[in-house]
Amino acid sequence: MSRGPSITAMPPPRNMWDAINPVRLLGELSETRYWMYLLLLPSALLITAIVLFPTVYGFQLSFTEMRLNRPAGNGAFVGLKHYARMLSDPIFWVSLRNTAVWVTASIVIEFGVGLIAALALNRNLPGTKVLAVLILIPYFLPNVVAGNMWALMLDARVGVINDLLVKLGFLAEYKAWFADPNTAMAAAIFIEAWHSFPFFTLLIMAGLKGIPADLYKAADIDGAGPFAQLRLITLPMLRTIIAAAVILRVIGLVNSPDLLLILTQGGPGRSTQVLSLYAFQNAYKDFNFGYAGALSVVMFVLLMLFAWAYIRLSKVNQD
Amino acid sequence: MTTRFDRRSVLKMGGGLLAASALTPLPAFAQSKSINYWHTFTSQSEAAGLEAVLNLFKAANPDISVTPENIPNPEFMAKITAAVVGDARPSVTMVASERFEDLLAMGALVDMTDRIAAWERRGDFDDKRFAAITSEGRTYGVPGFTFVDWGYYRKDWFDEAGLAPPTTYDEFREAAIKLTDPSKGRYGFGLRGGPGGQNFIVNVIEAFGSPVKKEDGSIGLDRDIVVEALDWYSGLLVKDKAVPPSAANDGFQQMISGFQTGQTAMIWHHTGSYQDIASKLEPGVEFGTFAMPAGPVNRVARLAYAYNCITKEQDADAAWEWIKFWGEPDAAVAFLEKTGYFPASSVAAADDRIAGNPMYKAASDTLGFGIPQPSFPGAAGWAEGTVLPALQQILIGQATPEQAADQIMEGLAQAIE
Repeated sequence: MSRGPSITAMPPPRNMWDAINPVRLLGELSETRYWMYLLLLPSALLITAIVLFPTVYGFQLSFTEMRLNRPAGNGAFVGLKHYARMLSDPIFWVSLRNTAVWVTASIVIEFGVGLIAALALNRNLPGTKVLAVLILIPYFLPNVVAGNMWALMLDARVGVINDLLVKLGFLAEYKAWFADPNTAMAAAIFIEAWHSFPFFTLLIMAGLKGIPADLYKAADIDGAGPFAQLRLITLPMLRTIIAAAVILRVIGLVNSPDLLLILTQGGPGRSTQVLSLYAFQNAYKDFNFGYAGALSVVMFVLLMLFAWAYIRLSKVNQD
Repeated sequence: MTTRFDRRSVLKMGGGLLAASALTPLPAFAQSKSINYWHTFTSQSEAAGLEAVLNLFKAANPDISVTPENIPNPEFMAKITAAVVGDARPSVTMVASERFEDLLAMGALVDMTDRIAAWERRGDFDDKRFAAITSEGRTYGVPGFTFVDWGYYRKDWFDEAGLAPPTTYDEFREAAIKLTDPSKGRYGFGLRGGPGGQNFIVNVIEAFGSPVKKEDGSIGLDRDIVVEALDWYSGLLVKDKAVPPSAANDGFQQMISGFQTGQTAMIWHHTGSYQDIASKLEPGVEFGTFAMPAGPVNRVARLAYAYNCITKEQDADAAWEWIKFWGEPDAAVAFLEKTGYFPASSVAAADDRIAGNPMYKAASDTLGFGIPQPSFPGAAGWAEGTVLPALQQILIGQATPEQAADQIMEGLAQAIE
């Protein structure tokens, strides 16, 4: 069916004022194909101002000397100096390793718990709506609140978790979870997973609603059990959603140091030091924005590579 | 009946409303008598102290409105850096002395030399009080109050054990060991190995004989002394077991609550935590205060000042009224009574309400021998980003004092390069 001509003929201006009337001119413009570009302009400008410009500037910073407390040499082009320093910086390598542990463990736990919760809530049993709200609550808590709340609950002196574990006989005495390098990262990952698994629950639940019930009925007839149905129907059908959720969470985990900043500040020693925290500390403790910029660029490149590899491996594009 | 709006009429209405809005009178902004004040007060006692000063100021200066804005200490440098770079500066900022050099270098501070020279209360302040906020003869702030380093001890436990408050590091260690009894959950010393603990490590290094900033202005450390100091300090946990095992992550709250709840017999802090501790333990009966003990070579107790600095030229006159008000004895004493923070003004410090209180004797004594924190661009970042993690690594068994000393030396070299 034809939609008719896209540009309506405009009546000629009636007088001089009409010819320059901005409202009339805007009206005329709204009926041309340029109107679309005009509507997109504010968001394009906004993205340029708050995403594109800082990103490009961050790249530029990584090749310059920029230490706010050393104004004399600031702005000088230093080529790959910061990147070369990174290669011989032991804290960078520790941070990289810790970032891999932090992101991988958090994603695995968040996805696992999120999937189980979504499958359970999708059964529409009595009380699931209330449970859904309760399960989503941690995700609505700001990181600062969640971090401080758990720091208090795990406190080595007054922590309620320690108290419970001692009373239940799991611990002989209160444990300083964040002072022991063997448990600091694990405790932080646990808190991160508790805080963010509802993100997966939410997205997976939305995906589950879109899977036709007929597929499960047919699988039942064919004798497929619940695990076979999960493996052969549910997970493949959720592939796109899972890929998107994993990529978004990985970006969030790699880029956000706030929870670790509250819980451990990278300690004890360097046992919970991750790249984002190291970049933050370089920028705002040492005021070395050049080196912090280089660290951020490395994080950016790693994330791009991860997203590319993950999309390829998960074959999302083939859908 | 429904009214249909086509695109043209919506555009016309929008244009008309926009034109009409331009004709409405602009609100009359109250000009420049309103200032904002960035501070790092967090505890209830600090908030009460600030409120007391604000109320007095309001009564004395009804035409100036001060809006206090709390910037938590850990985020302070990030926020002020962003404010300076983005030109969204506060009118007045509370600047801890160790942050002065960094803030000056980034151009955050306004020169206040002439205002201070002409100030009628300038004579109430010892010249030394301004040393840490002066660079190349120009002064950039007025001390609002003083952080006097001292120690708190459980007087009841000390009396029970027949011990006197320590005056040397040896006595200190001995008392810490003697008062440790893990079966009762008691430890001799609440070592702050978590956030904020870095300055005490530097103090111990200096007490063992290696000042970070020499008298001639050069910066450097003696590795052997650093090793010795780290060995002694970390040894309180690693060898003597006289420190709670959570020390590597213990920040201010953990350290204070450990003392308040009867876990530790001694802690090091400054006068600012006095009211917090007195709210849980009885002064002079359950706890007492002592001047920082002398190390093998030096007696190091810091006198750090919280300076109030003008950070925006535009509001400078009103900002100056607020800043100088902190030097009034009534304001200083009101603040001390709520918080325990010592006045920076000698006139206010001599007030009977302070000089007559025996619990403040240790602080008054410290005013005689206390020294400022070493200050140079990069000092704060080095202490927090290198010195503290290095100590933590010894505390958790990941490094020896020698390895930690190497990290500290290397970090210092990078900080000043």
